[in-house]
Amino acid sequence: MVRLLKISREELRDTLGSKMKEGYSYLTYITAVDYVDHVQVLYFIEDLENSNSETIAVDLPADDLNIHSVIGLFHAADWYERELSEMFGINIYGRDCERLLLREWDGKVAPLRKSFVWNTNYETDANGDKN
Amino acid sequence: METKINIGPVHPATHGVLRLVVTLDGDTIKRVEPYIGYLHRGVEKLVETRMFMQSPSYMEKLDYVAPMSYDELYVSTIEAAMGIEVKERAKYLRMILLELQRIASHLLWLATTANDVGQWFTIYMWAFADRDRVLKLLEEATGARMFYVNMRLGGLNRDVPEQFGENAIKLMEYLDKRLPDYESFLEGNPVFLERMRGVGILKKSDAVKYGATGPVLRGSGIDYDARSNHSYYLYKELNFYASFETKGDCLARYKVRIKEIKTSINLVMSAVNKMPKGDALGMPIKLINPEPKNKEVLVRRELPRGESLMYLVADKQRPYRLGIRSPTFVNLSLTQHLPIGARIADLFPILASLDPVMGDSDR
Repeated sequence: MVRLLKISREELRDTLGSKMKEGYSYLTYITAVDYVDHVQVLYFIEDLENSNSETIAVDLPADDLNIHSVIGLFHAADWYERELSEMFGINIYGRDCERLLLREWDGKVAPLRKSFVWNTNYETDANGDKN
Repeated sequence: METKINIGPVHPATHGVLRLVVTLDGDTIKRVEPYIGYLHRGVEKLVETRMFMQSPSYMEKLDYVAPMSYDELYVSTIEAAMGIEVKERAKYLRMILLELQRIASHLLWLATTANDVGQWFTIYMWAFADRDRVLKLLEEATGARMFYVNMRLGGLNRDVPEQFGENAIKLMEYLDKRLPDYESFLEGNPVFLERMRGVGILKKSDAVKYGATGPVLRGSGIDYDARSNHSYYLYKELNFYASFETKGDCLARYKVRIKEIKTSINLVMSAVNKMPKGDALGMPIKLINPEPKNKEVLVRRELPRGESLMYLVADKQRPYRLGIRSPTFVNLSLTQHLPIGARIADLFPILASLDPVMGDSDR
């Protein structure tokens, strides 16, 4: 089992800031899991010298997917946050994000949400028509 | 006057389908804007629609230069969720195969990097020929030359043939003698040194700040390798130590990879010598219990391109969510910072020293 440190979104930056002071200065990964009624955003941080790692989890209600950026603390969060907003439709505020990173051609859907169903029975052509 | 030039998406000197829009002042780089996502296939979503052991072949296609590393990482993640122990002989064999894969991947990197900095024929031919010897050995062990799908829960799909150990030792002895040729050819070459030394310097603090990983992180003086820091299999028993360099330039990253090839050669030799006899076969797919023991698991591995981790939330029979941390994705984000202030000609050694594989980055 993964030990998750569950906090609220208001505590996020303070917690990450204090963890940083404890030596967790390396951000390994940011991802999210869609549990339908809420989306859990996960921050994996690492103390490189002592090989300690910590996973911080923030639950966001499905109807209020807003979270502050952590780019001010961890610059490595830049692309992860952009990926998160494209794949899960999470609004990350407090940062500039000029364009889509992975899905430049289509920003309309959030493919890693459970509401987006991977339908293998049809393919869409270049015009978006179902075949 | 500022000029904007477009590099890619399919330029032979870029690795995979990557587009860079570079803003220049004269020939000095002012801004680099990387465009990725051309190889985005939605693998993380796709695995949610497949049963656990239907996905290893998708995983292999993430990093097509070192496919076995992702295969092993994914299968280890499922093993952690199912609570399955890996057989002792299989642990040794997995280590041997993964280190062989690392050698093959670093040799391909060496070939393409030498190409990027103007050392076209000799090193390219040498490295590709030697990589092919490694791939042949992998073919002997797994039955396939590139996409192996050889991992099964608790072990391997097939055990290696009887003469494999002997052939592996022979090849490692050959590579051990061969490597000094590469070093003397490249490090005695003023053109290679001029193009790599002092180019694309990544300071230690910046490497941590930007989240660099693998040889890029270690090239900046950070002694961090998942194989030693989060020891798995028998790396501790075989006295594995991470290789690192302090200067943080392209040459340092080259040296780290050369050292890693040497370390992998030693690891393969000692693992072959210590490998116990017995059964290494994994569980037949039909016998897998669909109910996972652990709902959430996190597994880390040091791939040739850097540390990757998989975060799995397991459902019955299939992943509910699989998050994949790609080492290329983070290293590639450095293209926004590393080349600033460098000359346009230095962009290619800098890009090459990050060793990007776009399938891995885009997922």
